[in-house]
Amino acid sequence: MSFIIRTENLSRIYQTYKKPEGVMNSLKGFWQRQYIEKAALKNVNLEIESGKIIGLIGANGAGKTTLLKILSGLITPSSGSASVLGFNPWERDYRYLRKISLLLGQKNQLWWDISPLDSFSLLARIYDLDPKKAANRVQELAKLLKCTHVLETQLRRLSLGERMKMELIGALLHEPEVLFLDEPTIGLDIVAQSTIREFLATYVKERKTTVILTSHYMDDIAKLADQLLLISRGEIVYNGTVKHFITKTSIKQQVVVVLEQIPESDIALSLGRQLTSGQKEHSFEIENNELPKLISEISANGKIQDLKVVEANFEDVIRHFLETESRVL
Amino acid sequence: MLSNLEYRLNFLVDAIVQPTLSTIVEIVLWTSIFAGAGLSAIGGFGKEYYIAYALCATFLSRISSSWMYEFRMIQEIESGTINSLIVRPMSFYEYYLSQLLGYKFITTVISLTIPLSVFLVYKLPFHWDRLPISLLMVFYYLILVHSMSFVVSCFAFFLNRIQGITSAKNLGLWLLSGELFPLDLLPEPLKTIMIQLPFANAVYVPTGYITGRIGFEYIKSGFVSITVGIIVVNLIGYFFWRRGLKAYVGTGA
Repeated sequence: MSFIIRTENLSRIYQTYKKPEGVMNSLKGFWQRQYIEKAALKNVNLEIESGKIIGLIGANGAGKTTLLKILSGLITPSSGSASVLGFNPWERDYRYLRKISLLLGQKNQLWWDISPLDSFSLLARIYDLDPKKAANRVQELAKLLKCTHVLETQLRRLSLGERMKMELIGALLHEPEVLFLDEPTIGLDIVAQSTIREFLATYVKERKTTVILTSHYMDDIAKLADQLLLISRGEIVYNGTVKHFITKTSIKQQVVVVLEQIPESDIALSLGRQLTSGQKEHSFEIENNELPKLISEISANGKIQDLKVVEANFEDVIRHFLETESRVL
Repeated sequence: MLSNLEYRLNFLVDAIVQPTLSTIVEIVLWTSIFAGAGLSAIGGFGKEYYIAYALCATFLSRISSSWMYEFRMIQEIESGTINSLIVRPMSFYEYYLSQLLGYKFITTVISLTIPLSVFLVYKLPFHWDRLPISLLMVFYYLILVHSMSFVVSCFAFFLNRIQGITSAKNLGLWLLSGELFPLDLLPEPLKTIMIQLPFANAVYVPTGYITGRIGFEYIKSGFVSITVGIIVVNLIGYFFWRRGLKAYVGTGA
C-alpha cells in the first residue's frame, strides 16, 4: 500500500485579537491588545493512499479548509509535519507545485479580465507545458465539461457554473497527481453540480489522480469519495469508507411494512412497538441491527405483503453523528 | 499586460491623454513664470532649459512610478487572491515585475512621441543620442521601485489597510527623485547626498543628462547606486516575504 500523503501531529493555531466596542476601546488597543488563540487543527495524523478520492467533511470552522491549505502549501502549520508526494508542502518547492493543484470554489484563480483561453496559455507557460499539447488538452477537457462555447469569453462575463468549469480546466491543465478541491460545487445549480460531479468521477477513474475534496453538499461526498475523513474541532473523528460510516453510526432507518391482512386489535411488539388495529401499512424507526428481529416478530403475527427499507440519508447521518458526539461547533 | 489592454479607454488615458495634458501644463506654467518675473534666466538657466527639464522630468517620473501595481499587490495579499499565485510554480515578485515592465514599455513607446515632438517643434535643449541610455536607466530603476513595492506589499501579511504607506513612500520618492525641482538647485552637502542616493536616478539624473545639465559620470554612478539599492531592498523584501508567508492564514478561502 503506497501512501502519498502523511501527516504527523499536524496542528495549526490562529491568533486574533479582541475588538471591544467603542472609540476608547479602539484607542486602548494600541497599547493593550488582548489576543485570542484558536486551534484550527489539533495533532492530526493521516495516511492517504494514491488514486483515491478523499471526502473531507465537517461543520463550518471545523478545520477542513485549514488542513487543505496546509497540505497544498498555502499556509504553514504551527507544529507537526506533513509529506505530500515526498515533499514538505509549505516549502513550496516548484517540483511539488507542478504536481498538485488547489481549487478554491469561493475564489477565482484564473484572470478575471481576460478570456479563459488566454489564462490557459499563461498557465501553460507557468507550468512549462508544450503550448500545442496544452491547447489540445483544454479542448479535450472543455468537451468533457460541455463548455467549449465560452472559452473565448472574458471570465468576468461568465456565469458561476461556467466559471467553475473554467477553473477546473485550469486546475487540471498540467495533469496534477494530487488535486485539492475546496467546495468545487458551492453555489452551483443542480445541473452544473451534477456535470462537475460526473466529470470528476470519470476523470479520476481514468487518470488515477488523488483528490482531497471538501464540500457542503453531502451528495458530492457520498457519490465521489472512496474514503471519508470527518473532522470536528480540529480533530479527525472518523477515517474510513462512507459505507462503513453509515453502518457504524446508530442513526435509525425507516421500515415500512404492508401486511396481507389488517389486524383486528393492536398487537404489541418488543421495544414498545406495535401493529395498530385497522391499519394495513405500518411504519417503524429502527436501529441498523434491529431489522431481522422486527421482521420475525411481525411475521409471527401475520403475513408480510410488502417491505420497504428507507436508507438513511448521508447528510442526516453526518448531522446525527456530529450532534450525538456534541461536536458541532 | 493583457489585462490592462482589455480596458482601452484606461490605456488611452494613461498613454496619450495624461502625457498630452501634462506637456501643455508645463509649457504654459514655465512661460508664465518667466514672463511674470521679467527675467531671462533663473539660477543660471534660461526658460528653454526649465521647460525642457520640466517636460522631461514629468515624462520620466510617470515611467518610474508604480503605485498602481503596488496597490494591486497589496490587494492580492489583503483579499487572499494571492492564494492562486502561491500554490503555482511562479514567483509573486517576478509575476508583478513582468507586468510592470511590460506595461511601462508599451505606454513609454506610445507616450514618448508627445514630449519628443514638443522638443523638436520648440527646439528645446535635448541630446538625442543620450536618450537610449537614459531610458535604460529609468527602466533599471523600475526594478528598484518594484522591489520597494514588494517590501511594502509584504506588510499586508501583518497589517490591514496599508495603502497609506504607499502614499507616504511615493511622496518621499517624489521629493528625492528631483521631479519637483532640479536637485542641483539644492545647497551643499544636501545636493551631493541627494544625487548619490539611487532615487535621483528616477528623474534628476536622466533628465539632467538628456538636457545637458550633467555629464556621463552621473549615469555611471547612477547605475551603481541603483544596483546597490536593488540588492539592499531585495534582501529586506526576502526577509519580510518569508516571515509574511509564515504568518499568512490564506485569507478568504
